[in-house]
Amino acid sequence: MWIQVLLIAAVIALLVYLLGSRTNAKAKAGVKVGYVLFVIAAVYAILRPDDTTVLANWLGVDRGTDLLSYALIIAFAFTTMSTYLRFKELELRYARLARAVALQSAKAPES
Amino acid sequence: MGISTRPNTAGVWIIVPAFNEAKVIGDVVGDLRSVFANVVCVDDGSRDNTADVALRAGAHVVRHPVNLGQGAAIQTGVEYARNKPGATHFATFDADGQHRVQDVLRMLDRLRRDDLDIVIGTRFADTTVSHTPPLKRLILRLAATLSPSSRRLHLTDAHNGLRVFNHTVADQLDLTMSGMSHASEFISLIAENHWRVAEEPVEILYTDYSMSKGQPLLNGVNIVFDGFLRGRMR
Repeated sequence: MWIQVLLIAAVIALLVYLLGSRTNAKAKAGVKVGYVLFVIAAVYAILRPDDTTVLANWLGVDRGTDLLSYALIIAFAFTTMSTYLRFKELELRYARLARAVALQSAKAPES
Repeated sequence: MGISTRPNTAGVWIIVPAFNEAKVIGDVVGDLRSVFANVVCVDDGSRDNTADVALRAGAHVVRHPVNLGQGAAIQTGVEYARNKPGATHFATFDADGQHRVQDVLRMLDRLRRDDLDIVIGTRFADTTVSHTPPLKRLILRLAATLSPSSRRLHLTDAHNGLRVFNHTVADQLDLTMSGMSHASEFISLIAENHWRVAEEPVEILYTDYSMSKGQPLLNGVNIVFDGFLRGRMR
């Protein structure tokens, strides 16, 4: 099955890319561990797709596909929210930077 | 310059956040300068010559290199003024000409007389004749009622741009909501820092100009939601 080879290559390429990034070591460590777990689960699911249905049945869901789409929706919502909060934080830093610049070049009236 | 500075206005700094207000900022600053020696106009990255007009009218001018929003402009103005020697009291005053200078004087008297940290203007005190359009009035009252801090502090008009406060408030003020949600944030800060607060009835001059510059009512939705999110930012 070529699709399995492609999918596995893709998740492993992402893993190598993520493990190679060195920014903010402490905060990213948790993300990296989580991603390794994700890759293991993904490779397993790609090789034995029917097992996702078994897992889904344990959880009271009919098909493995449905279970994956639920997981995808939750992951997407989580990503959206954390991106939004990250943007807010960046906006605040940006405002403080602009404020520092503004205060340095303040003009007093002549009188 | 022949400014008749009243003795109780010497340490007062008026903070005027302005964005594209070149048409009216000259008159607003001029009016303020006839009473107050110290006016700082924060030009929030205007595309017109707001900064030049304000400077010529006698205001100190701090210019944001980019547009950040009214909350950020107020914070900048406060940080500028609170470091000035002799500054004792501060007031925020909208640049569009909707506030009256005599209201600021009355609020200053009230702040000193009742030993308060901050006095906020209200359009909805029972004693004043309100000229607020009915729909706007309804929405603003709803915003005040929905905000837990406003209710607890018995405030009726959280989104009034006219505020007078002392050095304690200026030192502790740290507005993080750059846009229009800063008004609710201001109220939350009052509750969190236990500042002594009171309301003073003020009149808002709803001119065609200020109505066209005013925030659309739909923005109320954003303000309510930003209020919920603020707790998660700290």
